[in-house]
This record gives sequence, C-alpha cells and structure tokens, in this order.
Amino acid sequence: MTFVARMAWREARTGAPRLLFFFLCVAIGVAAVVVLRSLMQTVRVTLTREARTFVGADVLLRSPVPWTSAERDLITRAFGEAGVGAEAELIQTQTMASAAPGQGSGVVRLVEVLAMGPGFPYYGTLELEDGRPWSHDLLAGHGVAVPPSFLVEMGLVVGDTLRLAGQDFTIRAAVVRDRLQQGGGFSFGPRIYVDVADLRRTTLLGFGSRATYQVAATVPPDRLDGLVDRLRDGLDRRASVRDWRTLEDRLGRNLTIGENYLSLVGFAIVVLGGIGVWSVTRVVVAQKVRSVAVLKCLGATSRQVLGIYLLQMLGLAGGGSLIGVGLAVAAAAVIPGRLVTPLGIEAVHVTASAAAQGVLVGVLVSTIFALVPLLEMQRVKPLLLLRAASSAGGGRHDRRTLVAWVVAAAALVGVAVWQAGSVRAGLYVTAGLAVVALALLGAGRALLAVTRPLARSPRFALRHAVVSLGRPGNQTRVILMAVGLGCFFTLSVRAVQGNLLHEFDAQIGGAAPDLVLIDIQPDQVDGVSRVVAPYVAHPVRLVPLLRGRVSAVQGRRLQLAGPDAVREHRRLTREYGLTYRLGLEDNERVTAGRFWSAPVGTGGGSDGNAAGLGPGVDTEVSIAQDVHDEAEVDLGDLIRFDVAGQPLTARVTSIRDVAWDDAQNGGFVFVLRPSPAVDRAPQSFVGFVAGGTDASARGALQRDLVRTYPNVSVIDVREVLQSVRDVVANVTLGVTIVGAVTLAGGVLILVGAVAMTKFQRLYEAAIYRTLGASTRLIATLVAIEYGLLGGLAGLLGAAGAFGLSWALARYLFHITWAPGPGALAAGAGLTALVVCVVGVLASVDVLIRKPLSTLRSE
Amino acid sequence: MIELVEVSRTVASGAGPLTILQPTSFRIESGATVAITGPSGSGKSTLLGLIAGLDAPSSGRVLLDGVDITALGEEALARLRGEKVGIVFQFFHLLPSLTARENILVPMEIAGVRDAAARASRLLDDVGLAERGHHYPSQLSGGEQQRVAIARALANDPPILLADEPTGNLDSATGRQVIDLLVAVNRARGCTLVLVTHDPALAARADEVIALRDGRVVDRHRPAGADAGGADAPAPPPVTAESRP
Repeated sequence: MTFVARMAWREARTGAPRLLFFFLCVAIGVAAVVVLRSLMQTVRVTLTREARTFVGADVLLRSPVPWTSAERDLITRAFGEAGVGAEAELIQTQTMASAAPGQGSGVVRLVEVLAMGPGFPYYGTLELEDGRPWSHDLLAGHGVAVPPSFLVEMGLVVGDTLRLAGQDFTIRAAVVRDRLQQGGGFSFGPRIYVDVADLRRTTLLGFGSRATYQVAATVPPDRLDGLVDRLRDGLDRRASVRDWRTLEDRLGRNLTIGENYLSLVGFAIVVLGGIGVWSVTRVVVAQKVRSVAVLKCLGATSRQVLGIYLLQMLGLAGGGSLIGVGLAVAAAAVIPGRLVTPLGIEAVHVTASAAAQGVLVGVLVSTIFALVPLLEMQRVKPLLLLRAASSAGGGRHDRRTLVAWVVAAAALVGVAVWQAGSVRAGLYVTAGLAVVALALLGAGRALLAVTRPLARSPRFALRHAVVSLGRPGNQTRVILMAVGLGCFFTLSVRAVQGNLLHEFDAQIGGAAPDLVLIDIQPDQVDGVSRVVAPYVAHPVRLVPLLRGRVSAVQGRRLQLAGPDAVREHRRLTREYGLTYRLGLEDNERVTAGRFWSAPVGTGGGSDGNAAGLGPGVDTEVSIAQDVHDEAEVDLGDLIRFDVAGQPLTARVTSIRDVAWDDAQNGGFVFVLRPSPAVDRAPQSFVGFVAGGTDASARGALQRDLVRTYPNVSVIDVREVLQSVRDVVANVTLGVTIVGAVTLAGGVLILVGAVAMTKFQRLYEAAIYRTLGASTRLIATLVAIEYGLLGGLAGLLGAAGAFGLSWALARYLFHITWAPGPGALAAGAGLTALVVCVVGVLASVDVLIRKPLSTLRSE
Repeated sequence: MIELVEVSRTVASGAGPLTILQPTSFRIESGATVAITGPSGSGKSTLLGLIAGLDAPSSGRVLLDGVDITALGEEALARLRGEKVGIVFQFFHLLPSLTARENILVPMEIAGVRDAAARASRLLDDVGLAERGHHYPSQLSGGEQQRVAIARALANDPPILLADEPTGNLDSATGRQVIDLLVAVNRARGCTLVLVTHDPALAARADEVIALRDGRVVDRHRPAGADAGGADAPAPPPVTAESRP
C-alpha cells in the first residue's frame, strides 16, 4: 500500500462521527436516485414484457365509425394473405347501467362496455375474483362480467341481473384484473365485459352513439410488419392500426422520459447531499490544517496531501453510495403497493443498473463538491506550526481554485446531462438548482442580516443565540439551504394541490352544470327535457353536436384539395365536435367578421342573404382564432367537413376568440350557422344540467332518464372530478414523498451540521457553565438558535412555495390562485419546530457534559 | 552544514512593512549543537523556519549542505525536509488520528524507506516508549508526546535536527529528560542540532549560543558547560556568526 493510501485509511479510521454525516449526505441522494430509477426500470421491464397483453393480440384495428364493407373486404384479404391465425371483433362504448327492478341499491352508473368476440384476449387473461379461469362462455347468452367494486357500488352480486340499454344481462363473474389498454387509459366509469353479438342486439350502436369498432388478430411474427403497413395504407384515415411492438416502443419512449425525469429529481437530492459533502469537507479541511502542515513539515508534497484526502473522500463516497443502495433496497421494500399499482407493477425491485448508476453518481457528485474545499489544503503552509498567523494564504481565490470551480461546475452539468438523458434538460436543471441555491443563500444572508439587531437584545439567551448563528465555521447557510429547499419542495406541492382542488370545487359549485347527458337523439330532445325538469332548478341546456373532420379547404392562404392534403398540412387533421347556434357564448368574442343572428335562408347572415354564400355552399362557419393563426384559414375561405360520412361545405364569416379554460361554457373550434343542410347532418345533442347536491335526487334523475331513454348516458361531473381528485391525490402523495425525502435529507444535514460544530459548542457551553450559566439557560440558547434557523428556513420555503404556486396557477394551469396562507404558515411553523427539536436533541451532550473534562481536553 | 547569507525577513503589518529579522549571516558546521535564544518576538522561530525551508526569506540565501534552499519550490523543499531535516516543535504536533508508531512511520513512508516498521520500533525503543507504540497522542503525556516527536524527527536519520522550544510545554523534570534525549541523539548520531529555547539549562548544553534581540544577533558565545558532553564526545565544531543592522 502506498503512503497516500495508508494515510487515507488512518485518517478515515478515526473520524467516525464525521464519516457518519458524510455517509448520510451521500447515501440519501444515492438512495433517491436508485429507488426512482429502479421504479421506472421495473415499470419498463414489466410493461414492455407485457406489451402484448395490453393489446391482447398481435395487431388491433380501431375505427370510430362502423367498418364499411370495402374496409371489411380489405381486412379479410389482408388477414388471409398474412396468414392470420385468429381474429375477433371488439366494440367499445359507454352506457348507463342499472340493476333489474327489485335488485340492488337502485344506483345508476355510467360504465364503459367492452364487447368481445370469442377467443379474445389472445394474450393475457381476465382474472376472476373466484379464481376460475376466464372463458368467453361466461358472456354467451347475455352474460356480463363486471369489477367487484362495481358490484358493491350497485348492491349486486354475481348471479343478479344488470340492465344495459333496456336489455337484461346476467352477471356471471367478477373481474379483478385485466391488462387491456383501451380508450387511452381514461374511462368515465368501470369497465364491464359483454359478448359482441349481444351488444349488437341493443340500441347502443344506433346513430350518434360513441363507439369504437375494433378487430383484433394474431399474426405470425414475420408477417406482422407487412400486414400493418398494408392496412395503414388501405384503411380510412380515421382508422388506426397498432401492433404490440409499436405499443412497446411508445411505452419505452415514454418510460425513458419518465425515468430521466425522476432521475433528475434524484439528482437534485444528490446535489443537496453534495452540498452537505461540501460543508463537511470545509469543516474537515479547517480541522486538518495543522495535520496538513505537519505532513508538509515531514516532507509530504502538496500533491501527496491532496491525494490522501481525495482518496479518503472517494472511499467515503463509495461507502456512502453503497449504504445508499442498501437504503434504496430497504425503501423499495416498504413503498406502499397502492402507490405503484397505478403504474402497472406490484412492487419496486432495485435493479443492478440503477444501483450502479446511483453509486457512480454518488461518487462523482461527492468528488465534485469535495474537490474545491480540498484544494485549500494545497495552500496550507507548514510555517503555521511555528507561527499560527501564517495559515492558508489569505482568503482570495487563486487561479487554481477558479479553475477547480469551473471544472467542478462543468462536471456537475455533465452528470446532470447524463442523468437527464438530454443536454437541454441537464442544463436547465443545473441552472435551476444554481438559481434556487443562490436565491436561498442570498435570502439566508438577508434574513441573517435582519436578525442581527437581536444580538443587542437585553435577553442573554436570545443575544447569544443570534451571535451563534454567525460564529466562525457556522453551518447556518448550509442548514438554511438544505432545510429550506426541502420545505420549499414539500410546501410547493401542497400549495399547488390545494389550488387545483380549490378550482375543482369552484367548478362544481353553485348552479354550474355538473351532469352531462350525451347521445341524446334529435327526437329525444323534448322528452329528455321533460324527464329532467322535476329534478332541477334550471332547465337542461341542450347543445347540438356533430362529429366531423375537415376534408378540404379552399382559401386565400390555404388550399387543401382533399383529405390527403389536409393530412399533410397536419393542422386540421383531428376529429372535431361541431355545433350550430345563433349567438355567442359568454366566453366568446368575435375578432373579425360578423356572427349571424338568424338561420340561413331567413336573413341576418354575414352577407344578409343565404344565396350570397355561393354555389354548393351549405352554410357559414365561425372559426376559433387558433385556426386562423396556426392553420392559416381566413375570412371568406371555404371549408368542407365530412360529418359522419356526409359532406358539408361552409364559408368562414367570422373569427372568434374563445376562453378555453371557462369550464362552464366550454368551447367549439367550429360553430356552424343553422341551415337546412346542417339540420340534415347526422347529429346528437349533449345536455348540461345542474343536478344539485342531493345525492338521492341525482340518482333518481339518472335512473328515470335511463329507464326512459336507455341510449342516453349521464356523466356525473362530480364523480369524474372525484376521480381526478384521486389522481391528483396520488400524484401529490408521490411528489410529497420526494419532498419529504428532501426534507428528511435537510434534517439529516442539520443533524450532521450540529455534530460538525459540536466541538466548538462543547467548549462554549463549558465556558458558559464556568461563568455560571445553568443547563436550562444553555438549552434555551440552543433552542432559540435552532428555532431561529428553522423559522428562517420555513419562511424561505414558504415564500418560495407561495411564489411557485402562484406562477404555476397562473401560467401553467390557468386557474385562479388561492394563496392558502394558513397551510403555508403551518408548514413554516412545523419546519421551525422540527429544526428546533432536532437541533436541541442533537446537542444533548453539549447540555449534559461536565465542563471540566471539556476544558481539560482543550 | 547550515549557512545563512544576508538573510532577512519582512512581513506586512497594519502599520506597514515590519522587519522581524534583520540581514543576518552565520554558518553552523555539521555536527554542532547550537542554541538560539532571545526574548519573545526577537526572531528566533522565524530564523528556525527559514533554516527549515518552512518560510522564504525576504532577502539573502539559506544553504543546507551547499544547496541553496531559497531557490527551491514548495515541492522540492518538502522533499528536502523529508531527507535532510528533522523538526521538533514546542507543541509536539503529532498527528492526532495516528498512533505513536504510525506518527514515526510517516516520514519514512513519505521517503519510501523499506524497513520502516522495524526502524520505527527501534526508534520507539530509543526514546523509551517501546510499549506505547499503539497509543494515540491523546493517550500520552506531554513528555511522551515530545519523545515520540523526537523519534519522528529522527526517522529518516536527518543530518540536521531543528527544535523549536522543545521543553517549552513541559514541566522541568520532563523537560530535562527531553534535553538529555536530544543531546544524546546529537552526540550519538553526529547530526547538527539547532535549538530555539528560552530555557537557560537547555542553552547551557549547546556548543554555541546565538542570542537574538529585535531581529538581530546581539551575542554569540560558548556556554560554560559546552565541553561537558563527555570525554568521548567530538570536539564542537566552530560556529561563526555575523549580523548587521
């Protein structure tokens, strides 16, 4: 072993308390990196392994409209040529479900119906509550399978009868789990399973219904690509073709982004630990100055001295990183299942690659943060052993130190870029951290200045506590930064959550509509109004809804001859919900042209004459400002829509600015002027009604409506918002845990900082005692010092959270900002209390140690 | 041989430059024992620091065995100290995280000495601490710590041994033991010993005394008991000193 290695070991051997703190700083950050990265890797492995079970087949074709006979022929030919093994038809739709008369609790519930042909799913299975294997026979002859929670909600059991669209289905099984990804991951209600032939016998697939028509098939692997390409080329552009491998790719990309994002969160925590390492190293350097001078006196070169402490630090960082991996394993074992099940996994397993990355990040960040203070050792002059005044050559930074700063900063950016998997994200995060850290440092300094007058207080304990905050070698700024950052993180998340939930409550409060009736057919409009009327204070507001796509544009700036040109243009490709009416909504404002006030053919149009629209033009259309600005559609242009297969041509006569975030009025990109052609277009109506707060009245309204009009579905916005609340609560819980880890890291750094400066405190306490101070007085002094520190950290964190929640509410979520000063004040107060208690507890031996032993050892 | 040529040291102070050592020249022959005495602030420790290469003179040259150490860089000076100079401090300056044996091993390890462990044992034995090698400095008395420091200073068998107030932090009985040890080492090994001291008893054991005041050499003489080193002790080599304001 070389001299440097031997000395590094000897130095490390006797520095146990310091090591503990160093270990903690590194370990917490590394544990965060390892757990978060492992979480995402576990999700990735599980999801990509099971990608085929999410599709349930090798290939899945979907269309928002029934397949035409030409499409059917194409599919049959393509399947035949590709040697498709099995195929099944699927239909997905929504409807209201109720129990048969005399059964259940009388609840009516919107459900997502997945109608499946025999054999599906080909991969994966539906797990039943009673342990039986899944069989399509369970659905045959008007059978239905439902989730257990749905049974509880409806007060039903397996064997009872469920009524869907006026037809009775026997509940044959309770499905506890399936893997099928349908409907983009969001549904308005629980998923129930029926046979596709039975669904066809109901009225659910009538005109205007919202259903997705699907064909699933198994394909030999070597034919899959060819089949997918052929179907994509041949099928209508509304149809989508996806296979399990494209899903795997998409999942993979999304998960990589997620993994890198979470790794950055972990990196931020590592940096926090790094700040702790920097602080420890500074203290160690200060304590080791004499030893360094001795070594230099004995012939050791500066390089050897730096080598000793760098090697020691690397060993500690490696050890701390390994402890971090151990912590991560322990943490992964106790992560609550309900936190990770929404991600499709049952538990988090620490992966080898995450552990390796964690260790590497831990060692790198520790090195980066320790290097600059360690370089100070090179400046220690051995002469200080003879003359104490000649210490490390002054406080000015020499060129070598500056170079070290630059190299360290560049290395830190490098690690961030590596962890983020993106140069931009890495730079942003490093810059963000630097800004936050500098802001906290600056704010800490300012706040210390504010408290300085207290040093003239007549109260002894207060006076000395304030003086202690600024003692030489104090850890005040480090503690402020570490605890303040954790507090800021946690309170910000809570504040944003509070604002979101406040907004939800505002949306469903008062007379705002909270029940949405969909798929009302034109001939049911009056009947629905009559059924609803007894239950509500205000009549139902009915909005006509046409579903259409832009198939051509003839304009001044934009010429799109047909669907292919529209697809290439890319700005107008999606399916739009169109409506028609005679006036503007409250959240709309015309910015150009003129909005009509009468239907076509009765005057009051923009040109005052329907005949003036031009030949082949069916009506007028008002477009949203975005369409004008981004898609380059102008006043006077002609737009051809394809409304459920029926063409409709409209001239643009006005442009509207729409406040999209107005939840009550919603918004339409295209609003048509009523005209005979518009009346003839396939359409349904959507009803908006305020159902009141009485749950039983809301239930009765839904029940009556479903009995009279089985095809009409009711979306209870209160329930949807509750689901959103649940999602927000889960996300908040997750992020709060990250915040709590940060805060815990901050508190540990606090404990370490107390330990680091303990030798000084012990000496001071001994002198205070010799001068007559009681234990109580010293305890008060310590409590005030940490109370002030915690109060400042809490104040900093709360102020940051206050600002961030305002910025997010205003610029990201576009919601009304609710400051919530009570919660922030409570958070700041709690932080002060925690820091005070931890500070006093960590200083217990300062309070109980006999002064003589301390003075003697000095 | 130690040779100082017009060596001075000036430092910056609040009131302007302060000369703590006036231009001084003297030569100490190999094997001599020289005591540097004087009141506090007279420049004794500064002089010792310049001889050890711990500090650089403001003017003049310091030569150790003919090597001008004022021309050397920090790293070269460190190597030179490791090979040629052993230093004993008033406050011992043992490394607190190392045992007594390890403290003695350090200079040998830096110099890459092969049989360092055996030599450390011998040195511990020489200073009467064979049984205390595994103790940390905090577990040793002041006198014991100073003996470990002497053993450490002798680890690489340096031709020059410098001691800064080696008895200044010890009681008189322990101080006497340390003096005996230093003198014995000097006699036995034939190394040059330069002592900075306030202690008249210690100065009396030297071959030559250089007295400083206000940064100047104000006196040099051979103490009365200079020849009391014993019949078999080598004749003290000549010391020549010169200082001018």
